Amino acid sequence: MKVDLRKPEFVMKLDRLGSFHQSKLSFLRSFIREFKDWDFQTKEFNLDNEGYGYAIYTVQNRHKQYSLICFSNYLDDSDRSDRVIATKWDASFVLFDGVPLKKDIERLQSNVPLQEQGRVSQKELCLSRANKSVRIFEHVVNSLSEGKQPDTKLLYDVGYLYRTTAVYGAGKFGLADRIKIQNRDEIKGPFRLEMMLVYLARQFTFDIVNHVAHHRCPEKAITLHDDIARNLGIGNSTGLGMAPFIVNHPALLNQWIIAKESALKAIRSIAFINEIEKNSFQNYLTLIQENIKYWKTDSEYQIKKNNQLLKDLENFQKYFNNLSLGEYFWNSVYQWVEKNTQAECCEFIVSLMMEVYPEIVEPLSYEMSINEEEYFDIDTSRPIYEISQLIENQYTWLLNINFDQKDNIFNFWYYSKNKQEPRLSDRFSEEGADLELPLAIARDIQNLYQELKLMDLKDDLGAYLIKSQQYRHILRRVLICEKLPYSEIQDNTISKSVIPVDMLRLKLSFFGATRFDPRSDRWVRITMYQGAPLMREINQSNDSWSYKKIA
Amino acid sequence: MQSLYEIETTVLRSSRTQGLSWGVSEEVGKAIRVLEQSNLAGLESFKRIIDLGFDNLNKLLEVNQKNTNNLCPIHFGLFFLDQSHKNKLYQTLHFESLVEPLVSLPFLIKAAKKNLIYFQLDSKELVLNISPGSLFSIDKNQIPQIISKFSLTLTTQREIQFSPKTWDDLYKLSLETFVDESEEKRISGAGAGLTDND
Repeated sequence: MKVDLRKPEFVMKLDRLGSFHQSKLSFLRSFIREFKDWDFQTKEFNLDNEGYGYAIYTVQNRHKQYSLICFSNYLDDSDRSDRVIATKWDASFVLFDGVPLKKDIERLQSNVPLQEQGRVSQKELCLSRANKSVRIFEHVVNSLSEGKQPDTKLLYDVGYLYRTTAVYGAGKFGLADRIKIQNRDEIKGPFRLEMMLVYLARQFTFDIVNHVAHHRCPEKAITLHDDIARNLGIGNSTGLGMAPFIVNHPALLNQWIIAKESALKAIRSIAFINEIEKNSFQNYLTLIQENIKYWKTDSEYQIKKNNQLLKDLENFQKYFNNLSLGEYFWNSVYQWVEKNTQAECCEFIVSLMMEVYPEIVEPLSYEMSINEEEYFDIDTSRPIYEISQLIENQYTWLLNINFDQKDNIFNFWYYSKNKQEPRLSDRFSEEGADLELPLAIARDIQNLYQELKLMDLKDDLGAYLIKSQQYRHILRRVLICEKLPYSEIQDNTISKSVIPVDMLRLKLSFFGATRFDPRSDRWVRITMYQGAPLMREINQSNDSWSYKKIA
Repeated sequence: MQSLYEIETTVLRSSRTQGLSWGVSEEVGKAIRVLEQSNLAGLESFKRIIDLGFDNLNKLLEVNQKNTNNLCPIHFGLFFLDQSHKNKLYQTLHFESLVEPLVSLPFLIKAAKKNLIYFQLDSKELVLNISPGSLFSIDKNQIPQIISKFSLTLTTQREIQFSPKTWDDLYKLSLETFVDESEEKRISGAGAGLTDND
C-alpha cells in the first residue's frame, strides 16, 4: 500500500500547526541525544552567600569545548519584567566557544547582564537571560535551608525555578555568525547551541537554590532531591518575536515540517507490527495522560484545547483498546484519529507514534537544517505563465480572499521602536502601517499574481522585474515553495481572526516545549526540559525522559 | 566588531527606509554582507549612496536608455543579475557613469555564476574581469567612488589564458601517467572486443 505525505494544504493551516506537540524531532531532545556522551562539568561556581556572582559550566569532548557563563545579579522586585525592553534580570547567560580566560569573563561580566544594550564578540555563540519565579525560588530555598524538600505540588504547578525571556544566537549583538560554526558536526541540527544554553541554565537554577539554601543555614540545609529537580524544567516566556521567524525562514520551516511528515509517512507505511510496538505506544500514552494534568493555564483558548484533547484521548483509548493488530496498523490508527479527533489530539498521537520508532525518526533530525542561501536567487529566465500557474496551483487557498474587506487586512506587523520586538496592530486605528513588515504573505502573493496577469505571459520574470520590483521578495517565496512545499503557512497572517499564538506554538513545539500556557493571544509561557536528565546523569539518557511520570 | 548578520540586517532596513522594496533591500543586505566578508568597504560605499540619495541616481532599466549618467550601482547590478540570461545582452555596452561601482560587483559575480557568463568592465578608473569561476580579487585601495565613460562587455566565451607551448608541454607531461603497452598487453588488457565491425 502506498501512503502519501499529508498534503501541505492540510498540514500548513495555522490551527493544525498551532496544535503541534514536542516529539523525538524536537531540538532539545536531539541536543541531548547528540551531546549525551560529552563531558559536562561545573568549572567554577563563584557565587556569594546570597547567590550573586558567576558560574561556569563546560561541555567538552576530545576535540571541542563549549562553556556557559552564568551571571547572577541582585534584582529589585520592581525591576523584574519578562518584556524585551527590560534592562535587568536575575540571571544572564552567554555560551562561549571554548573555555573563557579571566579577561573574557571580565569583558563579559560588564556586557552580558546588559543583554541587548551590551556587546559580545565572535567568541560568543548565544546569549540569554532569565528571571526567577520568585514565589517558587523562595519556597524552595526556605524549605531546603530548613532541611525539608519543597512542596512538590506547588513546584509542579509552575514547573520551573527560572524563566528565560529570550535566547539570541546567530550574529545578534555581535555574537558569532552562523557561518563560523555551521560546519561543525555536533551542531548540524537546528538551534543546537541555543538548546545547550538552556539545558545548562536549567542546571544552574538547581545549583543556585542548593547554594543559597546551604548558606542560609549551613547546619540544617539539604539539597534538592534529584527526583524533584528532574521534574523541573526551565520556563520560557515568548512574545510575538518568534512569529516572524517562521515566516521569514520558509526553507527552514519546510525542513522541520517535512521531517515530521516523512516520519509519519514511514510509520504509516509499516505493513506489520507486533504486540511490543503496540504496547510501547500504549505505555507512552498512559504516562503522558498522567502528565497532562500538570499543564496549567488560565487561557480559555488553551483550556478549551486541553479539555478537548483529554476528551479525544478518552475516545481514542476506547478505540485503541479494541484494535487488533492488522496490516498497516498505524495507518488505520492515523486515519481514525484524523477523522474522529481535533487537531490537538491528532498531532499528539502523531508525536506518540514517533516515539515507538527511533530508527525511523532520529535520523530525520539531522535533516532539519538547510542552507537558505541556496534558495535566495530568483531564476529570472522563467516564463511568467509558469509562475502564474504555480501560484494558481500552490496558493489556491488565497486567490479567493477579498483583500478589500477590512477584516482580511485588519492587522499589520511592525517592529516596535519602543519595545524592540515585532508587534501586531489594528491597521485602521493605529499608526505605522506604512512601516509594515513583509509578513502579509497571502495579500502580497495575490497582488503579485494580479500584476503578473497584466504582463505578456510569454515574457520572462526578468521582464516583470524591469517593470516592478515591489514583490521581488514574494516572487522569491513562490519559487521556494515550488521546491519546498511545506515552506508556507497557508493562512492569512493579517486577518482579524489570526491567532498569533499558534505561530509561536509551532516553533516552540519543534523546540520541544511543553505546558503551553498562553497569557494572551500574543504571548505564551512554556516549559523546556521538564523530566530531562540532570547534568551529571546525561550520559544515561535514553530519550524517553519526556514521558516520565511527574510526581 | 559587528557581525555579518548585523551588517546585513542593518543594510536591509536602511535600504527599506530609502524606498527600496523589501526584495531589493534583501539583495542589498546580502551584497554588502558579501563585500564586508571579503574585507571590502561595502558599508562605507553603501552609506555614500544613501548620502547621495537615490533620487539623484539613475536606474538602469534598458541598455539603450538615453541617460546613463550617475547610474545607481544597486539597480545597475540588479539589471544584470535579472537580465543577463538574455543573449541580446552579450555585447559591449557603453555607459556614462556609475557611482560606487563596488556595490555592483556582488550582483555581477552572482550573474556570472548563474548564467555562466563573463563580464569585462573597462574604464580609465577601473578595469575588472568577472568570470563564473569563484576566483576574484580586487585591490581595495583602488576602488573608485565613480567610474565614467565605461564599457561593460558580456560574453559566454571563455578566453584562452595560456600559450600553445604551455599547453603542449603540459599535455606531453600528462601522457607520462599512461603505461606503454606491449602487443600482448594490448590484447589482454582491452576491455572491448578487438573487432568492432559488428
